[in-house]
Amino acid sequence: MSLKRLLIVSILAIFCTQFAFASNPEEGGKEFNVGQHLMHHVLDSYDWELTEYKTGEDSAGNPIYGHLAIHLPRILYSSEHGLEFYSSTDAMRASGKYEVDSHGHAHIGHAGSESDHDHGPAVYDFSLTKTVVQMILISLLMLWIFGSMAKRYKKDPNRAPKGAQSLFEPIVIFVKDDIVAPNLKERTDGFLPYMLTLFFFIWFSNVFGLMPFNSNIMGNITVTTALALLTFILTNVNGTKDYWKHVFAMPGVPGWLWPLITVLEILGLFIKPFALTLRLFANIVGGHFMILSLVALIFILGQNGQLAWAGIAASPIAILFPAILMLLEFLVAGLQAYIFTLLTAVFIGMALESHDHEHAH
Amino acid sequence: MELIKIEFGLFFWTVVVFLIFFFILKKYAWGPILQGIKTREETIKGRLDEAEKARDEMSKLQAKNEELLQKARKERDELLKQANKMKDQIITEARAKAGEEATKVLEKAKQEIEADKKAALAEIKVTSGALAVEIAEKILRKQFADRNQQQALADQLISELNNN
Repeated sequence: MSLKRLLIVSILAIFCTQFAFASNPEEGGKEFNVGQHLMHHVLDSYDWELTEYKTGEDSAGNPIYGHLAIHLPRILYSSEHGLEFYSSTDAMRASGKYEVDSHGHAHIGHAGSESDHDHGPAVYDFSLTKTVVQMILISLLMLWIFGSMAKRYKKDPNRAPKGAQSLFEPIVIFVKDDIVAPNLKERTDGFLPYMLTLFFFIWFSNVFGLMPFNSNIMGNITVTTALALLTFILTNVNGTKDYWKHVFAMPGVPGWLWPLITVLEILGLFIKPFALTLRLFANIVGGHFMILSLVALIFILGQNGQLAWAGIAASPIAILFPAILMLLEFLVAGLQAYIFTLLTAVFIGMALESHDHEHAH
Repeated sequence: MELIKIEFGLFFWTVVVFLIFFFILKKYAWGPILQGIKTREETIKGRLDEAEKARDEMSKLQAKNEELLQKARKERDELLKQANKMKDQIITEARAKAGEEATKVLEKAKQEIEADKKAALAEIKVTSGALAVEIAEKILRKQFADRNQQQALADQLISELNNN
């Protein structure tokens, strides 16, 4: 009961923000900038854009576009203004306290430069961006699916699986028996909840990221970095004496080589999560870029409507190829979740290992 | 490059959201689910073991039954054999006894017949003696009405006696 209430309250809290039909006129008539559009699609944003629509024409007859978007709340902390909440970026801009650059980032006393090097006072931006909201929604979905599944197990674990249970139970068992158990052995039970959360979180995020309107969560390097950092912490916190011995005093290696090996090993400690970060991020964002680029072929060849026949001619390819790629991406969605979870299990398993040093390394 | 920039806020929220939901899921979802799966696995294993055990017991029971049956059959054969033997014996005995009895009865009957015959013969002797005496008396009375004849017979008889 309380779980259901929690779900409802959380969803309401997220959508308390206005659903706005903002009409921020963009400069119309410019060349269609594919790169900019792709970036805009792939990057995180401070509002959940649903679509663009034509609001009118400027004096030269070029279309003006408005955005249909859900405005997401801004939460900012700076030493000058303290902790502040705004219902939307527009509201934040209207307050006059912050400068807003083209990405929607807030700055203080720093006239909207495009530069990434911010010279003004630090503004810590805790805004609920599209990615954050999507992550919360996906977590709630997981909570709903697995929470209701759990109820069935509580009622009678011996009953045959039904519905979502029969879909996810084999996957849960797969994660348990094929990803976690071979690496963590007798410690499996302790790490299993984390691994399951990780696996399903990445998988669901990837799958939802492929659907229209959704954010590509794992195609955001910040998210993958955060997850890899958690893996890094879990790995090193659980490191046994043996594990650290391998880092600082590799057995079977002459003492004078230890400094060199230790440098490499310490580098290795960081390279492992770094590789995790990049692998997941690059795979997902790469897939999105591929699909988007192929779709953009219509607009590139059609030269923004000036060469319509070329755009039409390109469209079969621009539809068929992304459709095939989409299937591939669905595979990648699960595969990357599998790899990330597997490698996390492998790293933790390596850290947990304590073995005799008779064998060579 | 906006694409590979680490956003502080997003990083913070990712960790917070992920960890919060991890703890909620652990308590409300993974715990019961994994427990349930474990319970089911154990139940299935237990049931299989039970079935195995039952099968073993069954086969053991069957073997025992077979053995019992075999034993029963053997016993029956034994009994039949014995019964047959007994029957034969009884028949033989009965026959022997019957023969004996019959012989006895026959013997007795013979004896009785013999006794009766003897009695009858004795009676016949007595009766025939009396009759003979009577007849002889009558004959004699008639023959020996005259004295001469009496004398002649007497003489004859005496001579016969002398001859003997």
